[in-house]
Order: sequence, then structure tokens, then C-alpha cells
Amino acid sequence: MKTSAVVSDTIGPFPSTIGEEKAAALDSIRRAQAGDVDAFELLYREHAGRIYALCLRLKAGDSSDATELMQDVFIRAWRRLETFRGDCAFSSWLHRLAVNTMLENARSDRRRIARVLPMDDTSRLERAARQSGVDLRMDMENAIASLPKGARLAFVLHDVEGYQHQEIAEQLSVSVGTVKAQLHRARRLLRERLER
Amino acid sequence: MTHEVIRHLLDDYVTGELMEDARGPVADHIAGCEICAAEVESLKAILARAADLPKSIDPPAEAWSNIRSAIERDKIAVATYAGISARFWRAPYTLAAAAVLLVILSSAGTALYMSSRNSDERSSRVAASSPTSAATPATLAAFTIEENTYLRNVAVLQDILDQQEASLAPETVAQLKASLRTIDEAILEARNALARDPANKLLIEMLSSTYRQKVDLLRRTTEMTRGS
Repeated sequence: MKTSAVVSDTIGPFPSTIGEEKAAALDSIRRAQAGDVDAFELLYREHAGRIYALCLRLKAGDSSDATELMQDVFIRAWRRLETFRGDCAFSSWLHRLAVNTMLENARSDRRRIARVLPMDDTSRLERAARQSGVDLRMDMENAIASLPKGARLAFVLHDVEGYQHQEIAEQLSVSVGTVKAQLHRARRLLRERLER
Repeated sequence: MTHEVIRHLLDDYVTGELMEDARGPVADHIAGCEICAAEVESLKAILARAADLPKSIDPPAEAWSNIRSAIERDKIAVATYAGISARFWRAPYTLAAAAVLLVILSSAGTALYMSSRNSDERSSRVAASSPTSAATPATLAAFTIEENTYLRNVAVLQDILDQQEASLAPETVAQLKASLRTIDEAILEARNALARDPANKLLIEMLSSTYRQKVDLLRRTTEMTRGS
């Protein structure tokens, strides 16, 4: 851990349409699409916190894996910027890219032996929780990190990030019923672990 | 609806995703069932805690510099492979052609099979012909750091060859040029594929191996011109 976490609770849900993007952000997107790295940095500064928070939770609090995933997401975003047509908000496009990148990396790493999560791995989430002023959040973050992968993905995407069942099913290439079952399982496990 | 059926509907009831016509019966059941009422409260508490989690967490400070480095390397790579060292090939060369051709054949052969469209075949061939492939970076982020080193090495070696080009025979230059073009095409092909599929470790291995072949070819040619 090299830096302290800075947390914002004031960010609203992802905008669903390009119309909700600010004019300055649209300008940055267009300039970045034309090859302007400084403009892309502005986009990074605007979205990195939220994408990193998502990556941390998708990676069960492992800050090293989460950082690597986030870097892959933004490198991939740069290379695919020309494919962003404004059909959805840029933040939603990035968010989807993060989930897809994580899923593709997971498929590539299928044979990799699962690592035991060291204590330090959750420290970034822990600091984030503490700086938010609610200690209970850390219990929640730890409980989410301890969930089985499928249940964790469904819970993070639906209950933390606000995706709909159908959207999650499409991204994970599973049925809506499977998503609901994983969500049910995740909530049950969380209740058991948090209400001990 | 029975208690067991309703228990399976409580998630959707709490999140507001339950069909409207089912909400009434479920609500009526909850009003008279302590178990379901407790489960509803517990679910609401979980959802409230999920909603209360921080939405944004600052990433490590070095993350952007890593990303920027990768982007800059992309730009360098495009510039390098789009107009590959035209000035290098202007002057004639005079060196032992047989030794260079040996290198060319080996490198070109590797590049050619890397451009094969059969990924399984490529995988086995790369593994068999790349004794250092175990050290290949496992991720795109790690590879981009290694790629920068390759690009620097290529630039240095080509500068050296620029200065020694008069010592190579024209026919050797032509062979070398053809061989390097084949390698560069393989690099471009792998690069483009990697842009579409950045998590593909096979592509990372292929690209890394192709870079090694290019550096090796340039290095050995440089060594031979020195010895001539």
C-alpha cells in the first residue's frame, strides 16, 4: 500500500445516457479519441476512483489484482476509444469494460491457483471504510470479499453498482434465474456472516 | 401461496422487483409471519449496508503513470512499424551472407509460424521454440513494460547497423529486409489481435517471442558486422 485512500460518497449512480455527460467530459472524450493522451488523463482522473472501487470488490479486496485490472481496463479503453459512439454514458461504457476485462482475465487465469488473501490486501478497502466514517462498512467489505465468486459478482453488480438482473445475465453469459439464485445466495451468506 | 414459495419471493419483494400482482399476497403473508418479517428486515439491512459502501476509492498514485507509459509505447510501436527504418536500407552492405542468412531463416521461420491462424498449433510451436517463454509477462500491463525495453533495444541496434551498413552485401541487405518485414508483419498481427483481446496470454507470449526474435536478429547481425 503506497497511498491512502480518498473516498467519495457523493457520486450518484452511473448516468445511463450520453446526454447526462458533462460538456467538458464529452470534449475530453472527443479529444482522447483523436489521440490526445492529456484528454484521456482527464477522463482517467474523473472515472478511476469509481472503476477502482469496482475492481477492488470484483477482486475480493486484493489491491494488487485490482490495480492491475484497473490498468488493463484503461489501457483497453484507450485502444478501443474509437468504438465508443455515445450510445451510453462513457462511465457506463467503462464500467462494462471493467467487468468484461475481469471476466476475460478470469477465464485466462482459470488454471491459476487461488491465492490466500493476506491481511494487507483489504487495507485499502478498510481505510476507505474508515474514512467514510462508518466502521461497519469494513465488516461489510470483508463479508463481500469472502463470498464465492459467482455470488460476489452478482451482489456487487446488482446491490452495490445497481445493475439490473438482465444486464448482469448478459455480461456474465448466464440466465436471469442464475443471477437471481446467486444474489439470493450472496445475501443469505452475508446475513449469516454479518449477524453472527 | 405457501410460506416456502413466499420465502423465495422475498428478495424481489424487498428490492421492489416483484410483479405487482404478487406484492399484495406476499405483504399479507409477511404481516402474519414472524420468520418472513425478520427475513425482510434482515434483507433490508443488507441492502442498506451495500448502498452505504463508498462508490469511489482512489487507486494507487502510480497507476496512471503505468497506463500512460503503455499508451506512449502503443504510439511508438505504431510509428516504428508503420514506416520501419527506411533510411536503414538505403546503403549497400558487405558481410558474410551465409551467416546472416542462417539467422534470417531461423527468425523468418519463427515469424511465419507465429502468423498462423491456428492458435493451438501456434501455442505448441511457440512453447517449443521459445526457451525463455517461461519468463514472458503474464499480463498486458507487465508486458507493456517489457515491450518498452524491446523497442529501445531495436532502436539502438538499428542505429548501430545504420553506421555499419556499408559492410553488408546488397543481397544480404535484401534478405535481411525481407526477413524483418516478415517479423514486423507478425508483430503487427499479434499487436492488433492483442488490442482486440488484451487478456489473451497466448498473444502476449507470441508478441514477446517475436520481439525477442527481432532483437536477436538485429543483435547478431550487428555482431557480425563488427567482426567483419
